[in-house]
Amino acid sequence: MQAIILERALNFLLATHPIDIQPLEGKKVHFSLQDFPLEMNFICTNNRIFVTTDAAINTDVNITLQSSVFLALFQGEDLTELLRQDKIVIHGDVKTAQLLVDLLQQVNIDLEELLSKYTGDVVAHQVGKLAKKIKSSDNPIGSIKDGITNFLIAPSRH
Amino acid sequence: MMHKTTHFGFTDVATEDKQGMVRGVFDSVANKYDLMNDVLSFGAHRLWKHYTIATSNVKAGDKVLDIAGGTGDLARAFAMKVGDTGRVVLSDINAAMLSEGRKNLINKGVSGVDFVQLSGEQIPFANDTFDCVSIAFGLRNVTDKDQCIREMYRVLKPGGCLLILEFSKTDIALLEKFYHFYSFSVMPQLGKIIADDEASYQYLAESIRKHPDQETLKKMVLDAGFGLCEYHNLSGGIVALHKGIKT
Ligand SMILES: C[S@@+](CC[C@H](N)C(=O)[O-])C[C@H]1O[C@@H](n2cnc3c(N)ncnc32)[C@H](O)[C@@H]1O
Repeated sequence: MQAIILERALNFLLATHPIDIQPLEGKKVHFSLQDFPLEMNFICTNNRIFVTTDAAINTDVNITLQSSVFLALFQGEDLTELLRQDKIVIHGDVKTAQLLVDLLQQVNIDLEELLSKYTGDVVAHQVGKLAKKIKSSDNPIGSIKDGITNFLIAPSRH
Repeated sequence: MMHKTTHFGFTDVATEDKQGMVRGVFDSVANKYDLMNDVLSFGAHRLWKHYTIATSNVKAGDKVLDIAGGTGDLARAFAMKVGDTGRVVLSDINAAMLSEGRKNLINKGVSGVDFVQLSGEQIPFANDTFDCVSIAFGLRNVTDKDQCIREMYRVLKPGGCLLILEFSKTDIALLEKFYHFYSFSVMPQLGKIIADDEASYQYLAESIRKHPDQETLKKMVLDAGFGLCEYHNLSGGIVALHKGIKT
């Protein structure tokens, strides 16, 4: 369900804005979160984007990151900066990853709400708070540590 | 000479006879089809179809082919999505069902839909024509399902999306028990009372049971050439939507 909401939001964005996704044509990008039961593939084809959760497909780019960093990325955090800080691991073409991230950053969607469907609202809320902290804090690494502690002790509905 | 056989519900029949027998069923149910659909699924088929449309990723200007489209529920929704610049083909092997579909769409003021009588096993369109091909509650009636999936693959454009909505297997034990009782005891009786046609609804119940489960169908889709296929269980797996992408 979450993948579908994201897919619809992305394609709504594409339909309503003059965005050229030709450079992404044929590309498959895989996101996996290290601390959250979420894997997502973004398949860019036929001028649209499909979002799937099937882990078994071959992708061109694999992006591994913490859920908090995933949210921060959505909220406009600079990919190069996150890479420089080793908060994100990319296997494959970084340019493709950057193009997709640019798109994701324009999607108007409550990702916190979306993630809450996976493991329960409280956990997602913690992750969301953490992402906001990363954005505003002078010391993102310190706040990530605090946040992760919070995140780990937060009750999950699973 | 040994005849090749296939199943028609729980009965084995000669492969070449199945299509005619399925035609008999749908000739018989055509004029009560929509009513029976609402009654038998408690209206849930509308939600399953709504979900299918929502996940189709179809947009303005697209070309869509609905196979085994019957009375046209999906075609109507697709027509709204593709708008004036797109094209929707509502197709079915059965003239009676197609004619119900045509009547339905005209009554509902839907335009921009073409009607074509065809079998999913032999689709009379060129390679790489459609952005989306759908088949809802139709594949289980097709004699050679693999051939049908290969044909759907062929007429899809690269990057095109296949949608198969079909009854499937639930793995919730209690639901399975209820569903078994409902489909074999209640469904044919309702068919008898409302449509005066117990046999057709007995076939429909049996054909659901003979249809491949989620994983088997997924493998069939991948084997036909689709680079990707994933399925979404609806109503606890009573129905599954398989989504294939021609990558
Ligand atoms: C249960 S109805 C589904 C109608 C419609 N898609 C819906 O969801 O309401 C199944 C349809 O499959 C059609 N059908 C059966 N075999 C077919 C084939 N080989 N090719 C195309 N359509 C077929 C029947 O004529 C019938 O209209």
